Order: sequence, then C-alpha cells, then structure tokens
Amino acid sequence: MKTAPQSKLSSTLCLLILVSASPVFAQSHADRIDELEAKTLAMAEELAVLRAELEKERQAPDSEDMQSIRAESVAARQAAQNAEIAANEWKNSNSVTHLAGYASADYVSPENGNAAFVANFNPMFHFQFKDRILWEAEIEVQIEENGDTNMALEYSSIDLFLNNNMVLLAGKFLSPIGNFRQNMHPSWINKLPSAPPGFGHDGAAPLAEVGVQLRGGIRVGEQSKMTYAGFIGNGPKLEGEDGEIHGIDTDGFTGDPDDEKVFGGRVSLLPFPKFEFAVSGAFGDAAVVENDGVDFEGDPTRDYKVFGVDASYQWNNLDLRSEFIRQDIADEQTSIAPEGGIWETWYVQGAYKFADAKWEGVARYTDYTSPHADKSQEQWALGVNYLLAPSAMLKFAYESNTGLVGESTDDDRWLVQIAYGY
Amino acid sequence: MKKQLLPIIAFALVSVASGTGLALSQSSAVAAESPTTNQFDPMQFARGAKAWANNCTRCHNMRDPKELRDDQWRAAMMHMRVRAGLTAAETEDILIFLQGSN
Repeated sequence: MKTAPQSKLSSTLCLLILVSASPVFAQSHADRIDELEAKTLAMAEELAVLRAELEKERQAPDSEDMQSIRAESVAARQAAQNAEIAANEWKNSNSVTHLAGYASADYVSPENGNAAFVANFNPMFHFQFKDRILWEAEIEVQIEENGDTNMALEYSSIDLFLNNNMVLLAGKFLSPIGNFRQNMHPSWINKLPSAPPGFGHDGAAPLAEVGVQLRGGIRVGEQSKMTYAGFIGNGPKLEGEDGEIHGIDTDGFTGDPDDEKVFGGRVSLLPFPKFEFAVSGAFGDAAVVENDGVDFEGDPTRDYKVFGVDASYQWNNLDLRSEFIRQDIADEQTSIAPEGGIWETWYVQGAYKFADAKWEGVARYTDYTSPHADKSQEQWALGVNYLLAPSAMLKFAYESNTGLVGESTDDDRWLVQIAYGY
Repeated sequence: MKKQLLPIIAFALVSVASGTGLALSQSSAVAAESPTTNQFDPMQFARGAKAWANNCTRCHNMRDPKELRDDQWRAAMMHMRVRAGLTAAETEDILIFLQGSN
C-alpha cells in the first residue's frame, strides 16, 4: 500500500513526462538546432573569406610599412650577430698577448751585518700565434744596495711547436740542466725565500744558454711519460783572478770568444704521476775570457763538463725533491789560470701543507763545494709559509749556514718574503 | 766548413724532418684553430682535469682556473707546455679543463 505523499509524487512525474513529450517542446528544440547550423555556416564562410584575404596579402607585394618593418628586423638581426662576433673576437683571434711574471719583497737579517729590505720584479711576456709559435721572455729587475736598478734578460726565445711531442726553442733560454734553475727558482714557486747555495751566479748550476734547444714530452702507456731536452749553445765564460779560475759565468752570452759550442740536455722519466727522476749533462770547451775584471783573449780552450741528477715526488700534501749538479773545468797548463776545478752542489728538500693547505712547513739541506773555500757552504734552512693564494706566499725562514769563518757564507740569517706570481 | 757548423746543421735537419713540415701543413696534433672554438667534449674535460692534477703540482701549487681568462690560459698553457714537457694533447686537454672551469 502506497502512502499519500508517495502517490502525489508519482502523479507529478507522470505529468512532467507527458508535458515534455508534447509537440510544442519538440518544435522549439529543432529551431535551436537550425539556428546553430546557420551560425556555423556563417562562421565557416567568414573564415574562408579571411583565409583568402590572408593568402592574397601574402602573395601581394609588401606595403612600404611592411617593407620598412622587415628591413629593420633584418638589420637588427645582423647587428646582433655582429655584436656577438665582436664580443667573441678576443677568444678567437690568431694572436694572444699575455703579461705574466712574479715579484717579491724580502727582509733579510744576517747574523753579522745589517738587516735590509730587498725587492725584485720579474715580468714575463708571452706572444702567441695560433698554436704554432710562442715568443716568451723574462726580465729580471732588481734594486741594488746603492739604489741602482739592475736589469737582466733572463730568457728570450721563440718557440716553434713542431708536433705533439716536440718544441724547438731559439734564442736565450734557461739552462735545462737540473730542475731548480729552469722550473723552481721563481719566488712564488720556491718554497724558501732563498735559492739553495750553488744555484746562483758563479755557482755549480748553469743558469742560461744562448743557442737552440729541442724539447718535449712523450707519453709511455697510460700512466708513464718521459720528457727530454737537448741543446747547442755558446757555452760559459771562465773568469780568471790572481792566476786562478774565479768562477764559471753561465749567464748566457751572444758572443763565443773560445769559438767552441757546448752540447747538453736532460732526460726525465715519470714511471707514475708525480714522481720524476732525471739525468742531465753537458760537455764542450771553455776558456778564460776575463781576467782580473778585464777582457782577456788568447787563452787556450779546455774541457768543460756538467753532470746533474734530480728527482721529485708529491703525495697528497707532501712534496719531496732533491738535486745534484756538478760543473767540472779541466786543468790547462798553458792557461793564465792553469788549475781547473769542480763546482758541486746538492740539496734535499721536504715540504708539507697543513691546516687546509693554508700553511706549509719546509726543511732543506744543501751542501755546496767550490774550489774557493770562501764560497763553499753547508746550509740548513727551515721555513713556514702562509699561502695567501695559490700563487702568493708569505714565507718565514731561518738559515743555519756553515762556511769559511768570517765570510758571509758563515752567517746565519732570518728571512721574510712575500712572493706573488701572476 | 767549420766543424762547429756540422752539429748545428744536423740538429736543424732533425728538427725539420721530425716536425716542421707537419706543423706548417696544419696536420700537427695541435689544432690550428683556437681551442676556445672547439666543441665541448666531456671526456676531454675529464682528461684535462686529470692531467692538470698530475702535472701542475709537480712544481707549484694548483692555480685557480678563475685566475685567468680563456685567452690568457691559452698563452699560459703554451708556456707551461715548454716548461713542463707536456705533449700537445695534454696541453689542449688541460686548456679545455681550465677554460671550462673559470
């Protein structure tokens, strides 16, 4: 049995169904469909007209305004391309000029003598053409004790890059004998403020040469490699004084008074990265060309020989290196300075970085032997460095020197140096 | 002919025979074009990073790639190729690494 409200609801639904199905409502719905079809047809016609106009416009020659807009657009695009090319010119030029070098300011306090400030400046010039030619030069500028400025051309060579493994140098170059002189002497690289005894002027290690040099590197397998250098040069000059050879001048000369060339080179092996072992040497003739401070001619030539061994190893923050070099001048009885001599030096050095590699401790022992007792020197050098930047160091060092009593080679020294390579 | 000239001539001939011709004919292993125009090669970048770590610290502290611009690294690396006995390939690998890291 249905209740009264249910009965009313059923009746209402039946009535609605009957009304909606009536012809009046059906007629209204068909009209709306016709109206929509008409609108759609009208829009399609309008679209076709617009398309036709657009196509017509595309095919028609540009109006002046349009032409102007197009021209401006092309010009703007060209200007942007030119600006990009100009912005990248410095990257893509065939030639590159680069100014590099290093400088240092020192404070040296010897045990006997006056403490003094010292300043050095070594600009380096690199001029490169493509990857074929490099001219490189370094000038050493020093202020003398009397205030004069002393300038010297450390090296100036034109380097031709011949192939993957070979570079030909011509001009004045640092001596490839040993490693300290050619690679380690710049103040921002050397871990102590001073060079090891025997590696300076008139010492045991040749400094520079004027001639030609062939050098390069060769990879041997995945991990190993070798490097080599061979040269021909004018050779050294011998300096006579009081009937003895005072020293071997190896600054590198454009003249060759003894008319005898010197041949030499260095070969190094790196069986694994960061370990290098090298042997170097040179031979030729030399003669006394300066005696008691004045030029001297006619002295007979004599044998000149150099031998060197060097090694280095780096492991994490540890840096170890050692080097031995010996220059040998033969006796010559008919010379103004008949007796020859041996100039010999060696050093061993260890350095360790600590405190996030900001600080570095260094110890070096050197033993330099010269035919002249006043030049021979044994030295212990201890230092602490603070790395201001990878190429800037503040160095504090103490040298304990043992030499001929009364000579400067016997004076212990304190040294402070700030060095910067750029 | 002076005896001193003989080794110099021999030296020059060896040099020329072993490389000059190659270099001048642009078939050298060293690219004639500026390295900065080379397409970036991730493997070359990785080789450069390794060569940089293995070679530079043999003598001095690691320098920050940001110390120099791309063109300055070009000249600096050519200088270092001579100093450190690097091959041309090693030099270019390191250069790509430095130019990509500055």
